[in-house]
Amino acid sequence: MTHYIIRRFLLLVPTLFGITLLTFLLIRLSPTNAALIKGGGGEGGGKAMTAEQREQIVKFYGLDKPPLVAYGNWVGKAMRGDLGNSFADHRPVADKILERLPLTISITGSALILSYFLAIPLGVIAAIKRGQVVDRTISFVVFVLYSIPSFAAALLLILFVAGGDYLNLLPMYGINSINASEMSLFPWLWDRILHMILPVVCLTYASLASISRYARVSMLEALSQDFVRTARAKGLRERVVILRHALRNALIPLITIFALELPVLIGGAIIIESIFTLPGMGQLMFQSLDSWDEPVIMGITVLAAVVTLLSYLVADILYVIVDPRISYE
Amino acid sequence: MNSISLSQETYTQRLWRHFHADKFALNGLRIVILLFIVAALAPFLANSHALIRVADGHVSFPIFLSLEPIEWRFLLYVPLAGLVYFFRHRFIAHPGIFILAVIGFIAAVEIFLALTHPINDPTNDRDRPASFKLLPPIPYSPIESTPDQFSPPTWKHLCGTDSTGRDIAARMLHGARTSLSIGFVAQSIALTIGIALGGLAGYYRSWLDIGICRFIEVMDCFPPLLFILVAISLFESQNNMFYIMAVIGLTSWTGVARLVRGEFLRLSSLPFTLAAKAIGANDFRIIVRHLLPNALGPILVAGTFGVASAILIESSLSFLGFGMQAPTPSWGDILSDARRYIDFAWWLAFFPGLAILITIMSYNFVGEGLRDAVDPRLKMK
Repeated sequence: MTHYIIRRFLLLVPTLFGITLLTFLLIRLSPTNAALIKGGGGEGGGKAMTAEQREQIVKFYGLDKPPLVAYGNWVGKAMRGDLGNSFADHRPVADKILERLPLTISITGSALILSYFLAIPLGVIAAIKRGQVVDRTISFVVFVLYSIPSFAAALLLILFVAGGDYLNLLPMYGINSINASEMSLFPWLWDRILHMILPVVCLTYASLASISRYARVSMLEALSQDFVRTARAKGLRERVVILRHALRNALIPLITIFALELPVLIGGAIIIESIFTLPGMGQLMFQSLDSWDEPVIMGITVLAAVVTLLSYLVADILYVIVDPRISYE
Repeated sequence: MNSISLSQETYTQRLWRHFHADKFALNGLRIVILLFIVAALAPFLANSHALIRVADGHVSFPIFLSLEPIEWRFLLYVPLAGLVYFFRHRFIAHPGIFILAVIGFIAAVEIFLALTHPINDPTNDRDRPASFKLLPPIPYSPIESTPDQFSPPTWKHLCGTDSTGRDIAARMLHGARTSLSIGFVAQSIALTIGIALGGLAGYYRSWLDIGICRFIEVMDCFPPLLFILVAISLFESQNNMFYIMAVIGLTSWTGVARLVRGEFLRLSSLPFTLAAKAIGANDFRIIVRHLLPNALGPILVAGTFGVASAILIESSLSFLGFGMQAPTPSWGDILSDARRYIDFAWWLAFFPGLAILITIMSYNFVGEGLRDAVDPRLKMK
C-alpha cells in the first residue's frame, strides 16, 4: 500500500507540470496580454498608452521573454513556494487566493454536505420501494432538478423570494449586509446565514440529484447481493437488513464519489458566485481573466489541479480502507 | 451480448425494442426531434417578413428573399432524411458506420454554416399595407427592436419583450438553433477526439496508453470553465459560433476517451479480435470494423449525455458574456439580460430557463433510455 501511494505521488509530478505548462502557453499564446488591457484594451479604452509606455509594462512584467523561459522562471519560483505577485494590484497571489478561499469553501462545502444528507435517504428510499410510486416520483423529481440550469434557477429564486417585485424574504446579493461590521456575533452570524441560503440551495439541488441517483443504484446493487438474502433468510428484521447489511455496503462507492467531488469545493461555484456577487474564488477567477492577470490565473490553476489530483488519490485510498476486499498490491 | 440466442433479432433491433419500451426515453427522443424541426424552421415561425404578400396586384414571397445561407440548412436535411430512409436496410446491417456517417454529415453542415455570419434585414411586413398578407405565427424577427419595451407576456408578445423591445418568443425560436447546433457539433468534435485518442490508447497500449492517460488526467484537472474561458479568449478577435463549438469540443472529450479506452482494452482481448488478427486483418480494419461497432453503444450513450452538457456549457458561457456575441440570439444571452432586470422581468428568466430545462431533460432521458437498452443488466429487471 505504501508503495502504491508513493508511486501515485510521483505520478502527480509530471501531470502538474503538464497542467501548468499548458495553461501558461495558452495564456501567452493569446493575442491579448496584461499590458494591452492596462492600456485600455487596444480598442480605445479612453486612455490609450503610447508605445513606449506599453514597452515598459511589457518589460516590467517579463512579457517579452520567450514563453518557455518565462515558464521556467515561474516554475523555479513556484517550487520555492512563491507564486508571484498579481499584475493587477501587486499583492502576493497566495494571499489573494487565501482570503477568497474560506468563503467559497463555506458555500460549496455546506452545499456538498447538505446534498449528501438529503440524497442518501432519498436514494435508499427509492431503492427500497423500487418500481413503486414513491420510487418513480423521487426519480422523476430528481431528474427534473438535475436538468434545471442552476443559473436560471438562481435568477428565478432571486426574483421571487429575494428583493424583486414579489416576496422579499432573503437578501439579493453579497455575503453580508452593509452594516455587518457593526453587528455583534449572533446577529452577524444570522445575517451571514441568510445571505448563504440561496447560493447554497442553488448549488445543493443539482448535486443532490446526481448523488441520490448514485445512492439508488448502489443500494439496488447491495440489495441484490446474496448476503442480503441470507440475512433475510435467517429472519432478521427488514430494518436491520437494510440499515446494517445493505446500506453499509451501498455506502462504499458513495464515499469514493464524495472524494471525487472535493475539487468542486474550489471551482464549483463560479456562476453562482457571479450571480450573487460573492467575493469568492469564482470572482477572483473572473477578475484575473478580465485583466489577464497571469500569476493569479496560474495560481488558481495550480491550486485546483493539486486538489483534483489529491482527491483522485484519496478516492483510491478510501476504496481500500472502507472495503478490505480491494487491494492494490 | 447474448451468445446463445434462438431468435433472429439483431443487436440494433434489440436495442430499438428496449428503447421503444421506455416511455420517457421515447418521448425524450420525440421532443429532441421536434426541437430540431422547430430550430430548422425557425425563420418561418418567427419572422417580420410575410410568407406571402399581395400588393398592387403583385404576389411576392418576402420571407424567401430575406433568407440567408444559414437559414437554408434545413433543405440539406431533407435529402439526408431521404437517404437514411432509402438505406435503412443497410443501416440495420452496419449501424455503427451508418450512425457515424449521419452524425458526421450533420456536423459538417453545421460547422460550415457556423462559419458564415448572419446579416440583419430590418424591414418588416407587419405595418406595410397589402391587399393580402400571410405572416408567420410570430411576426417578429429575433434581432428586431419594437417600441414595446419590457412588455410582459401578452397575446401580442407571447413570451414578452426585453429592454430594447425584442420579442422573446422569436429570440427563443432562433436561439434554439444556436443551442442545438452548438450542442451537436461540440459533442461531435469531442466524440471524434475522444474516440481517436481513447482508441489508440486502448488498442496499442504500452507507452502510447501511458502518454494519453496522462494527457487525459491533465485535461481533467482544470477547474471547470476556467480552461474554457482562457481558451475562448484566444479567439477574442473573431468571436463566432464555430469557435465556441471548437472550444467546448476541445475541452470535453476526456470522458469519451476514458470510455473508449476501457472498451477497447476489453474488446481487444476477446476471441473475435484474435480471430480477426489470425486471418490477417490489419490494425485499421480491426479497429474500424470490429472494435468500433462493438463499442458504439456506450459511445452513443456518452455522446447523448455529452450533448446535454455541451448545451448547458454554451448557455452558461453566453450567460456570463463569453459566448455568442450580442445580436445573435441564444438562450443564455436572454438569461444574461434577465440578470440585469432581475427585480421585475421574470419572463426573461423563466422562458429561456424552461427551454434549456426541456432540452437538457429530453437529451438526458434519451441517454438514460439508450444506456438501459445497451446494457439491460443495469435496469435491474
